[in-house]
Amino acid sequence: MHTSAVRGLSVGLLLGVGAGVSHYACAQLPPEPVKVEQLATPPKPHWVWVNDIGFFAFPDGRAFLVDGDAGALLGMLSTGYSFNAVVPSRSSQLIYAPESYFSRGTRGTRTDVITIYDAIHLLPLGEIAIPPKRASIMPMLAGAALTDDDRFLLVYNFTPAQSVSVVDTRARKFVGEVETAGCALVYPTGPHTFFSICGDGALLVTTLTDTGQVAGRTRTAVLFDVMKDPVTEKGVRLGTSWLFASFEGIMHPLRQTPASVEAEATWPLFTPQELTQHWRTGGLQHLAVHSPSRRLFAIVHQGGPETHKDLGGEVWVYDLSTHKKVQTIVMRNKIGSIQVSQDPQPLLFACSLESNRLDVYDATAGRYLRSVDSLGQTPTVLVTP
Amino acid sequence: MRRGGCCGVGFALVCACTTTELLAQPPALTPPTQANYMLNCMGCHVADGSGAAGKVPSLRDTLVPLAMSPAGRRFLVQVPGASQSSLSDLELAQLLDWMVRNLSARAVPPDFVDFTAAEVARYRRYPLVDVRGTRARLLAATWERFGTMSGTASGARR
Amino acid sequence: MHNPIDDLVERLARGMARRVSRRHFIGGFGALLFGAGAVPLLPVARGESRPPAQGTATDPGDPRTCEYWRHCAIDGFLCSCCGGSVHSCPPGTEASAVTWLGTCHNPADGHDYIVSYNDCCGKSECGRCLCNRNEDDKPLYVPGKSNDYNWCAGSQVGIAYHCSTARIAGLAK
Repeated sequence: MHTSAVRGLSVGLLLGVGAGVSHYACAQLPPEPVKVEQLATPPKPHWVWVNDIGFFAFPDGRAFLVDGDAGALLGMLSTGYSFNAVVPSRSSQLIYAPESYFSRGTRGTRTDVITIYDAIHLLPLGEIAIPPKRASIMPMLAGAALTDDDRFLLVYNFTPAQSVSVVDTRARKFVGEVETAGCALVYPTGPHTFFSICGDGALLVTTLTDTGQVAGRTRTAVLFDVMKDPVTEKGVRLGTSWLFASFEGIMHPLRQTPASVEAEATWPLFTPQELTQHWRTGGLQHLAVHSPSRRLFAIVHQGGPETHKDLGGEVWVYDLSTHKKVQTIVMRNKIGSIQVSQDPQPLLFACSLESNRLDVYDATAGRYLRSVDSLGQTPTVLVTP
Repeated sequence: MRRGGCCGVGFALVCACTTTELLAQPPALTPPTQANYMLNCMGCHVADGSGAAGKVPSLRDTLVPLAMSPAGRRFLVQVPGASQSSLSDLELAQLLDWMVRNLSARAVPPDFVDFTAAEVARYRRYPLVDVRGTRARLLAATWERFGTMSGTASGARR
Repeated sequence: MHNPIDDLVERLARGMARRVSRRHFIGGFGALLFGAGAVPLLPVARGESRPPAQGTATDPGDPRTCEYWRHCAIDGFLCSCCGGSVHSCPPGTEASAVTWLGTCHNPADGHDYIVSYNDCCGKSECGRCLCNRNEDDKPLYVPGKSNDYNWCAGSQVGIAYHCSTARIAGLAK
């Protein structure tokens, strides 16, 4: 193009731009400093932690915090070897993560710690050393838990000897190890009490003193038949009751009493008709409870015996007052873990080991809403903050 | 154990292989009590009962001393690995006898009495909560006859 | 947003889901098929591109596959795909003496063998030939029958899990 014409064109363009929306001629994108986001507090009801053990890269455990409404990743934690799950404190200001590290990644000295994270900045505030015995297991919420007063963090150990490490979160130190020979995992039942499930189908109830020492350990009677139809470890809690499902879909409610735990009447998830169609419950985290409406959510599939870890294509919802199924939510994808938010308009979160995607449903309408993809390697269990 | 569709394949293979191969080396059946040890105990206590240093206690030094007193015999039945196993009382009695006679590094005293199903049933009714403490107390009580134990709670190998 | 890394992870994950077996702690990877019993024989486990081995007359099948008879109670990465074998660990790993055992039927001789699934430990996961089955599996509170534990906990090198063997320990019947 001829130079003068170019000049003319340029001037014309400038004038045109200037004449049109005059403020754009002077506006420029200002330079931006890098800043670091921080999270709102308290956590929103529709947030969820997606824990990831990283099955093909155990040294690189992670936990992803997802906003279920926005369908967005808010941030994450790096949580070490063979990671189980985050344990948020009820105060919502802190998140505890039992973590294991090798000095050389997969070898060298093993160190186990409880890392204390600030829930707003997702940064470690400190750590509490615990015996390097934390059970390396398929992730389960009962692998570690806070007592009901948030004072003591309990961590299940397996070496293969079975015990529980007790951590005083106020003093921020390990205070002792409770021998729980023959019994596994931790299910809190009060300010300083918890139970573990024993290999004969009884429970071991442990009471701690105000300083986290063992005040007493007692076994209940045998509550279920381990050989014929054991309960899965994936119990859920509603108020002062723990609800466990057996391999064959029988619900075993356990009620807390001041000194112990008692079995209440069992009830079946499946009608005789549904049993003839081979309906079963299964998955890594196959049960969830919505406390305000007293509803139980269970992942179900059709399959033979011993398919209690199979993925399922539906979630059935039960009214815990009537023990009747009230809703079927068909899953868009086969899933193995579910969790429900505890607000009046709950979301149902679902994921599986076979995909790094989180699916989000309206739990009341039973309607698929959205998915959040690319969440780590092998998402395991879901925890609401 | 799943047999399912594999049986068909198996028959075909059996028919296809030579007589010489079939007759060459019939496998020796593991005696049932030893098989019970394998399936219920060997996973942690390993084949010779020596366990894993620092993790699983050795049985080799402690089976005989414990089996020579009522309290010790009760412990051997009540320890969760034994009492919570799927073995019947009789099978557990036979297994404990087998262990004392086959896994002990110590000579079995002539006054050792075999476990009976009735005895096992009696002890098994009361599960043990304080395993570590009970074991330590019992072993301390046996030192007079058997000397100090090297099979400590930390699982030191003999 | 399309992400090639996610595709890879998703393909890997789906491929390994089509496996069945047992024991070790990597449960839940869609243990399909075995409930109904009408099980088609699956192709060679993903990650192994050599032609399938026939085995021998007395020990039939390919130990690099999930369907191999000894794997009736295995759950983890098959050491046969990782530089080891059904009774040996890959170089530089340590066999955990503490383990889980199962009972598997050998279709060639009709016997039930006691199989010991000693894990090999001390390195990151092998990541090949994942095989998962929950036959006779019990929850964590029955440790000896639970495939949800990392049995490398019983090794001297610690919980760095690499792969699982399937060693003959005895003959049940």
